[in-house]
Amino acid sequence: MEFITGKHLPRRTFLRGMGATAALPFLDAMIPAGRGRAATALAAVNRPRLIAIEMVHGAAGCNAWGATQNLWSPAKVGRDFDLSPTALESLEPFRDYLTIVSNTDVRMAEAFDSGEIGADHFRSAAVFLTQSHPKQTRGSDLYVGTSMDQLYAKRFGQDTPIPSMQLCIENVDQSGGCAYGYSCAYTDMLSWASPSEPLPMIRDPRVAFDMLFGTGTSAADRLQRRQTNQSLLDWIASEVDYLQRSLGATDRQRVDQYLTNVRELERRIQQIEARNSSGEPREIPEAPLGVPDSFTEHMKLMFDLQVLAFETDVTRVFSFKTGRDAQNRVYTESESSTPFHPASHHGGREQGVLEFQKINKFQVGQLPYLLEKLKATIDGEANLLEKSLIVWGSPMADGNLHNHRRCPLFLMGHANGQLPGGMHLAAPEGTPMANVMLTTLKMIGLDDLQSFGDSTGEFALTRATEVGA
Amino acid sequence: MRKTLASAALLGGLLVAVGGRWERHPSSVAESVSEVDEPRGTVPSHATASTTEAISPEVLTQVVQRTCVTCHNDVALTGNLSLQGFDVAAAAASPEKSEKMIKKLRAGMMPPPSAPYRPAGDTLTSLAETLETLVDRAAAKRPAAGDRPFQRLNRAEYQASVRTLLGLEIDPGAYLPLDSKSENFDNIADAQALSPTLLEGYLNAAAEVSRLALGDVKATPTDITYSVSGYASQLERVEGAPFGTRGGLSVMHAFPADGQYVFRVTFASTTVGNAFAGKDARFEQVEISIDGERVALIGVDQWLNIASPEGILMKTDPVAVKAGPHRLTAAFVSRSEGPIEDLLRPHDWSMSDRHTALGARGLTFYPHLEHVIVAGPTNVTGVSDNPVRRRIFSCRPVTAAEELPCARAILSRIAGEAYRRTLEPRDVDGLMTFYTQGALAGGFEAGIRLGLQAVLASPHFYFRFEQQPRGVRGGESYEVPDVALASRLSFFLWAEPPDAELMALASRGRLSDAKTLEQQVRRMLADSRADALGSRFAGQWLRLQDLEKVNPHVYWYPDYDQQLAQSMKRETELFFMNLVREDRSFLELFDAEYTFANERLAKHYGIPGVAGPEFRRVAYPDASRRGILGHGSVLVQTSLASRTSPVLRGKWVMEVLLGTPPPPPPPGVPDLEETKGDVGGRPLTTRQRMEVHRAAEQCRSCHLYMDPIGLSLDNFDLTGRLRTRENGMPLDTRGQLYDGTPVSNPSELLGALLKRPIPLVRNYTVNLLAYALGRRVEWYDMPAVREIAAEAAKSDYRMTSFILGIVNSDAFRMRTAATEQGGSGR
Repeated sequence: MEFITGKHLPRRTFLRGMGATAALPFLDAMIPAGRGRAATALAAVNRPRLIAIEMVHGAAGCNAWGATQNLWSPAKVGRDFDLSPTALESLEPFRDYLTIVSNTDVRMAEAFDSGEIGADHFRSAAVFLTQSHPKQTRGSDLYVGTSMDQLYAKRFGQDTPIPSMQLCIENVDQSGGCAYGYSCAYTDMLSWASPSEPLPMIRDPRVAFDMLFGTGTSAADRLQRRQTNQSLLDWIASEVDYLQRSLGATDRQRVDQYLTNVRELERRIQQIEARNSSGEPREIPEAPLGVPDSFTEHMKLMFDLQVLAFETDVTRVFSFKTGRDAQNRVYTESESSTPFHPASHHGGREQGVLEFQKINKFQVGQLPYLLEKLKATIDGEANLLEKSLIVWGSPMADGNLHNHRRCPLFLMGHANGQLPGGMHLAAPEGTPMANVMLTTLKMIGLDDLQSFGDSTGEFALTRATEVGA
Repeated sequence: MRKTLASAALLGGLLVAVGGRWERHPSSVAESVSEVDEPRGTVPSHATASTTEAISPEVLTQVVQRTCVTCHNDVALTGNLSLQGFDVAAAAASPEKSEKMIKKLRAGMMPPPSAPYRPAGDTLTSLAETLETLVDRAAAKRPAAGDRPFQRLNRAEYQASVRTLLGLEIDPGAYLPLDSKSENFDNIADAQALSPTLLEGYLNAAAEVSRLALGDVKATPTDITYSVSGYASQLERVEGAPFGTRGGLSVMHAFPADGQYVFRVTFASTTVGNAFAGKDARFEQVEISIDGERVALIGVDQWLNIASPEGILMKTDPVAVKAGPHRLTAAFVSRSEGPIEDLLRPHDWSMSDRHTALGARGLTFYPHLEHVIVAGPTNVTGVSDNPVRRRIFSCRPVTAAEELPCARAILSRIAGEAYRRTLEPRDVDGLMTFYTQGALAGGFEAGIRLGLQAVLASPHFYFRFEQQPRGVRGGESYEVPDVALASRLSFFLWAEPPDAELMALASRGRLSDAKTLEQQVRRMLADSRADALGSRFAGQWLRLQDLEKVNPHVYWYPDYDQQLAQSMKRETELFFMNLVREDRSFLELFDAEYTFANERLAKHYGIPGVAGPEFRRVAYPDASRRGILGHGSVLVQTSLASRTSPVLRGKWVMEVLLGTPPPPPPPGVPDLEETKGDVGGRPLTTRQRMEVHRAAEQCRSCHLYMDPIGLSLDNFDLTGRLRTRENGMPLDTRGQLYDGTPVSNPSELLGALLKRPIPLVRNYTVNLLAYALGRRVEWYDMPAVREIAAEAAKSDYRMTSFILGIVNSDAFRMRTAATEQGGSGR
């Protein structure tokens, strides 16, 4: 019953500001010192930016009939593909930046034994960026794999104040937790710093903003707050040593983990200090207002933050969860009034598949906003879309069958000139999605990586000729 | 009412007796278990009573091998359980399996309804009892307290801690990441992952909260935004707002300094062009008030346009406000009392017809507030005294020499409360270095502020450490120290830190004294802070937060709004707390003839004679609504936006009330919406569509459990209203419960559930225990759960009996030390 016309209130997108009354705060020189000047800094700045976006419930085009209608991937492979019947229609203006890889499998999301059957919704999210099979547990003995964004962030993230950031759209604290023997961590978290360390997702744009740019009302204020935090962290670290003596083994282990977090925050502060002593001040927009009701507005705010973070080089890695498995949200702004999860269980009926397609289209349709902004932002000598690699995919294929074969996946951006784009590649039957992820990881700098998840080899993303399908 | 139910139970009992199953039995086998599985109240069930014969383990083993192994074998592994070779006499050797069996047997869910052969009820009961006895006996020989890592303050506990420490109301969501839940609750220690993001959240919170508490003369202008949900009605006065207003919002806002603040308001609008429809916004005024006094009046500009440079936004002139927490209200001045005279009756959800109303004649659509933004301060003149500051500054240095001792006194007191323990000198010394650092830069107050920030940034505040006594070795169980016990107790019953009385008793080592402990529990339950058991424990157990997920379709349910949803949530919380306060029987949760309602909710339920927004106890007019299965909070959260879902309702009962969730649906199952909605033009009811839907064998096995439960509640529509028709067709709610009992309405369902109270009672105990301990309840806790439930049975399941049972349990009072390798001793 909502009639959103596509024209949104300017105040909602915070980049345009709330009004003229409050002075815009200054960011204390998040711009790297050498931009356009010192060549040494350029290599670091030119490091590709990575955004990994998960769409849940698979796609209408991954249903047997939907595939014949080309609802997800276009009919033709190579450069001459037609996006008009697909859910990717809205990406037409960006086709030069688009690499569609159809036909890859996420086998690690499948059930490995009888106790896992049917619980696809509760483990898929953990599989998407790890391409590993989660250990079924409700407890803290989580185990899946290190996610691709984290492999990248671990290698290069130390160059930026924040190695990576995790964002989400849906609330994770609903229902009684997660079901069928799976910890909520598998359902709610995309990014895994190690096979046993999920990273919490941030839903509130305001909180994400504060984490990216620090709290405080002026450069001086932020500087002072950072220094205070620095001495607090020193003090906490010394307290922890003392504390360990009175605790039992279980608690000591947890305190050790806490200490690692303390060290990481210390590093972040030092990194910002180092930059600020050599940078130039710069204006940043006002912080966003909190979580909006509208899906579109929420997505836009999150995209705004990602562009802003790239622009100021606070971080170069994002993972972004656009939905929660088995959620029943009705996308009032889409053309469909069927709740998301029921829509994905379309029973294979044509009408149902087409209804689900509306939601797919709507969700992918959010992306052009980000692409436009990245393209319009010049970073050094190229725009940010040139420098970025965006992975958009789903660990599920046909949501109706809960299967994980021939899953939706496409890449956007030129990854710093490494990815030609403008191509539709169809993988040979049985190709793991991990192969594509392995190749992209190598492409963006992890050239010594041997394997990733259940990869069986690399997948050529630069040539379309070898694809026969 | 008890009669109605009783007769239903009796009817069920008789029917069942004919089938020769599920009769009353004294616990002849289990000496240690005095729980009696029978309908409670004054049911003359003795008539049908017979004594369960003790059957030998050998015979029972044969029953298991003959009956259960058909599905639960090494090959089929149905339910991930194989009972091939299971020996009942050796049940204690595989307690995990035994517990699985006990649970399903007690619930009456095994063998499944589709099973070709069922042993007599006596046999199955005897099997459950024998397993229990054997497992419990073995457990008694090696008691295990269990272990978990320390808990951290979740959002709710953080908020409560700041409130008790400083008297300051904050929004923890502004700083801390979302809490992860495990088994219903957000306080389960091993699901509370630590991360740099979390630590940063605590540090940011420390910085902000300390500034808000003391006020900040150096505060620079910032915007704080409050939002009104689009699902809220704005025709009535909201709680906290001055009389004579409508809509808007009213919050406690902490102003950081004495200075000038500008209040900006934006209005709900999703169209292009003009924000408001014609004359509807004419003469509308938004009143901004501080502590109930008007400080500004904004005349709404009826020509506001989406293309205006600032959007749909209006603002006040700068207003002088003093530092500290004040009640801030932004609301419309009410222009009319009583209903609006329109051609169509306005809906309760005042936003429901904004699209029709915009530009349409004969419908009023008032402006709605969307955001209220507090911008400021400018022209800071200082920081005035206020209750928060008075609480912090217990002394005021007059001379420079008094500063250090005064600072030490203040920080010692605050840190003692914040750390929930007695301090060591080094604790205070550490804080004093921050005081000194701050005082050097900005004087005494700045020093105290930084000291306070350090207190809030300290792991001793946001982690709940429990000391392990010296000399305890891995695998050994020990009593948690009194100080830790005080925190366990207060976070359990109050969801906030212990008060002075608890701390005093703990510091003298007297809290663990059995008599004192019980006195304290009773004192705490009588205190209003125990309301947290309703909002935090019952709220999460019964999943009241899921109400938010369901927004009934506006076209069919234009009267459903956020106020109604909140009333439903409040109803369930109040109802639960009333059971605790009056120490009623737990089973009244299911069969109470009353509830708590305000005018809005009573009207919704069709209960006459309730006026005003306050909740009060009201009797249900008839037997069609009883206990929580008649609560809107439960009925709405288990529905979809456009229809009821008997499956979700059935699943909710199985999962939340009985603790036996159905397995996940097999992949490839078409959704209900995909089944045909009509036959030859005749619309089908949800039930008829379900029948089509579950024709597939793979679906049937589970739906046989869920559907009849949900169908018996299908006379409640998706908003919890009573109905007799759906899509114009009469409803058919008949079904047969998994144990064969016919059920067709809520009272028959209740009769069938209450006929077998054990699964309900034990599942409640499991949830309460998990919440109290901050860890999941595992199979090795089940002997303790049975004991607590059996003890409660002796007093007709009084609510305090469960709470005392838990407080006195080993699991609550003790911990088992982990071994050094990190293997958790249990």
